[in-house]
Amino acid sequence: MITLNHYLIVSGILFSLGLAGVISRRNILIIFMCLEMMLSAANLALVAFSRFNVTQGLPDYTAQALVFFTITVAAAEVAVGLAIIVALFRTKQSVEVEAVTKLHG
Amino acid sequence: MSVFTLEAFLAILGLLLLIVEAFAPQISRRTIAAVSLGGTALALVLFLTVASHAPDSLPSFCTPWMRLDSLALFYKGFFLVTTLVVLWLTSECASYLGKYTLEGRLNELYSLPLIVCAAMMWMAAAQDLVTVFVALELVTVSFYVLVAFARKSNLALEAGVKYLILGALSTGVLVFGIAWIYGATGTLSFDGIAKALTAADLNKSPVLLGAAFLLAGLGFKVAAAPFQSWVPDVYQGAPIPVTTFLSVGSKAAGFVVLTRTVDALTVEHSVVGPEVKGLLLILGALTVLLGSLPAMFQQSVKRLLGYSSISHAGYLLLALACVGSTRSGMNASGIVAFYLATYLPMTVLSFLVLALLRVQGSGEDIRDFRGLAKRNPFLAFIMTLSLASLAGLPLTAGFMGKLFVFVGLVDQAYWGALVCAAIGAAAGFYYYFRAIVSMYSPEASAQEPIKLAMPTRVIASALAAAIIILGLYPKPLQQILSQPPEVAAKAAH
Repeated sequence: MITLNHYLIVSGILFSLGLAGVISRRNILIIFMCLEMMLSAANLALVAFSRFNVTQGLPDYTAQALVFFTITVAAAEVAVGLAIIVALFRTKQSVEVEAVTKLHG
Repeated sequence: MSVFTLEAFLAILGLLLLIVEAFAPQISRRTIAAVSLGGTALALVLFLTVASHAPDSLPSFCTPWMRLDSLALFYKGFFLVTTLVVLWLTSECASYLGKYTLEGRLNELYSLPLIVCAAMMWMAAAQDLVTVFVALELVTVSFYVLVAFARKSNLALEAGVKYLILGALSTGVLVFGIAWIYGATGTLSFDGIAKALTAADLNKSPVLLGAAFLLAGLGFKVAAAPFQSWVPDVYQGAPIPVTTFLSVGSKAAGFVVLTRTVDALTVEHSVVGPEVKGLLLILGALTVLLGSLPAMFQQSVKRLLGYSSISHAGYLLLALACVGSTRSGMNASGIVAFYLATYLPMTVLSFLVLALLRVQGSGEDIRDFRGLAKRNPFLAFIMTLSLASLAGLPLTAGFMGKLFVFVGLVDQAYWGALVCAAIGAAAGFYYYFRAIVSMYSPEASAQEPIKLAMPTRVIASALAAAIIILGLYPKPLQQILSQPPEVAAKAAH
């Protein structure tokens, strides 16, 4: 029997993997993928919490509605984000983090 | 007419301008600027008339997730004023910004702020984490575009990438926090969360985990530690009007949400109240220090203002922690709103002077400010006024804002945080006055005098007057903000 805890553990692992990737990877595209993974981890937790929050035999759907918004927002974020990364590649011919180190104190 | 229709009006106007720009490129930049400025001004006038007569007139389908209390009305007005001055600043900077964009086009810089403004106004009234999330992301995604807009400049592009990565990271953290708060309390509305937290048998740790993630995610939007490292870089790289908008609008929007969240989390008899207050104090003190201390070694005024923005976020977080302090006649949310109201004119004014110098072809370093008093005494005066106010010199608006925060901290006996805030304020006097002294130095970086157009003079004088009036006579604003939300809601019925 799969319980709420199983879902939460998977979600926690996904979130930590994503965070570790954001911190350690040098390629901006991969960092961006890791960020999406963190969002998916949060979505998984939301859906699991929603499914197991049962009142009168029915799950509470508010959190699942939020997940739809999160997915839409993530899509918009990817569209804008990839456009910015493409613009960066055009000027610097690179999408490594070393390409964005000009701004410092 | 309801206040609610104003947001719809602004969002539709913004979308229309975007479409017009795409399909009728022959329409001149001036027309677009005039329509967007006129639209915002019209919205502000309508808002002021509606807000004073019948503030509480939401259609019934929005009442579950929105509420128009006095705080929401205050912030809606605040965002309209901010957007108006930002659009006007954009038209001031148009001549130099055009060099850095594709084919010299600037239209998105006029249409996207309208959409951002509508989202911020929705956020001001939000009573539900879903509404908060959608409005917050509408603001953030629009800002990704705005920050990277001057894409022929490598610095702007770099700032855009940094803002994108950290913004997306904070979104992930925010949603994760919302998920855990929902898991612990079973609801997403602020009222519901506050009610669930008073139950004595509630398991504390999931709420605390969610609250920590939620506060960290919101901390990104307001430039607070631990997500403050993007601020100086993005402020330096982004176009000046966008930097202003980020510094005032985005910060205020983040603080509306933080106010509502903290109000719900620290409600009376809340099981996590003391922990959340402690977390706010630690984050606030850390933010003040991480903003003030590096600021002392900056050469670029834009970076300096970036670090200053971090330290102001720190004071605001400390103010939020003073829940229950009423010594100044305002509660924590009132102090935060007052501080932001003083923060608006002084920040806009300092960025305005920076923009005017930039239009003249000067750089953005402290040494480019040398001899400004000779080139244009009026500009030097208003810059002195706004920097002195940012430092918190008595008789200016900034002093009153800081005073209320310190009074709140003393009232609640948060001595450690008070010491950190005092160190930050002392450091502030050093770095702001370094810039002021440089303006009055005898050797000038350039000789030619700077001429100002009449509208620029008028608006700059109005902002300067706001700084002095709020510093000398803060009573009226204090009274507006001291009204508890319930009283205002009752008065409207």
